[in-house]
Amino acid sequence: MSVIECQGLTKAYGGVKALNNFSCNIEENKITGLIGRNGAGKTTLLKIIAGFMKETSGDLKVFSESPFNNLTVSANVVFIHDQMDLPTALNLKELLEVAASFYQNWDRELANRLFDYFSLSPLQHYEGLSKGMKSTFNMILGLAARVPLTLFDEPTSGMDAAVRQDFYRALLKDYLAHPRTIIISSHHLNEIEDLLEDILLMKDGKELLHMPIADLKEWAIGLQGKTAIVDEWTQNKELIFTKNIGPDQSYVVVRNNFSETEWQSARIAGIDLTPVSSSDLCVYLTSKTKGGIDDVFNKG
Amino acid sequence: MIINLDGTKPIYVQISEWLENEILNGNVESDQKIYSQYQLAEIYNINPATAAKGLNILVDEQILYKKRGLGMFVTSNAKEMILTKRKNQTLKRLVQEIVIEAARLQVSKEELIEMINAADIGEVEK
Repeated sequence: MSVIECQGLTKAYGGVKALNNFSCNIEENKITGLIGRNGAGKTTLLKIIAGFMKETSGDLKVFSESPFNNLTVSANVVFIHDQMDLPTALNLKELLEVAASFYQNWDRELANRLFDYFSLSPLQHYEGLSKGMKSTFNMILGLAARVPLTLFDEPTSGMDAAVRQDFYRALLKDYLAHPRTIIISSHHLNEIEDLLEDILLMKDGKELLHMPIADLKEWAIGLQGKTAIVDEWTQNKELIFTKNIGPDQSYVVVRNNFSETEWQSARIAGIDLTPVSSSDLCVYLTSKTKGGIDDVFNKG
Repeated sequence: MIINLDGTKPIYVQISEWLENEILNGNVESDQKIYSQYQLAEIYNINPATAAKGLNILVDEQILYKKRGLGMFVTSNAKEMILTKRKNQTLKRLVQEIVIEAARLQVSKEELIEMINAADIGEVEK
């Protein structure tokens, strides 16, 4: 069953289309990683799904309803991002109480335990927290709300490495105990990929790839060896990334549709075949040129 | 074996290999219940769907079998099946790689066999 269905979704800010005819379905009880460069439209998409703003055109259904101005959707969705608008008059413990009154499945015990574990102090105010502590508090809200659809937009920004690891583990453990639909956007794909079931890669307001993360790892392959031989093996293939190493060596990433026998003969021909990490592949796929930053410096 | 999450091998393949090792080491015997996808997810901090994929490889190879509503169990001749498979696939591939590297280094076949003879099995078994 799909929790989110969108078809031809467009959102324009002035003349710029943050979402440009975007379509996708998100299935129930999966953890999906939303990946893309800065400005790809990730936050815009999440804001529209959460009902925080309205699409310019296109069709969107969350739990089969249009999310904008919709009470069912807002009671069943939590949207965690780094500009949370929380009442400044309340201290942290009071904020948790208010959240508890809003979300039906709120887990008070989990909220309190996480609160103590991360050494937050009850009487402090949100405004006074550091960036990383704000993110930590937000994360507690997102997990304890335990709503059917949880949206995390860059949840780990400002967190130190230890807290990030704790967050990933807490997210997974609570998901195992209470499966639900989770979308998490991040620039640290290498850190979150093991938690994910699916990956949704965005570029220029469109969906570029949407597949199980396990398939992505085998989707492309890197070939390294003598340029002439590599060229021979990669002709008629879709080039994803190319790089020259030294005078006559190349590294080329292509779609992985080699057969087992082709693999063997490429190896024997002296080509190193290596898997491409998901995060490298996403960088290559979303880059504007096939050579990346090096193209800027290669004038001729 | 510790799962190498940064490694180039897909995690679900590493999970299925780890499960095979558990069977080979006798940690899970024939007709005993093997770890569930949720236990594996918890142990290795991975998505349960990934863990399920690792389990399903072994079900497809009939090293594990499913009991409806009870989970997955180890087949009675699982050990032999794993050993045969590893010999035919993993060892063959490794040998192939050694031969290619030897050719690159201009090491003759005789020299290579000598090196294999010289390699200390005792060291390996520790």
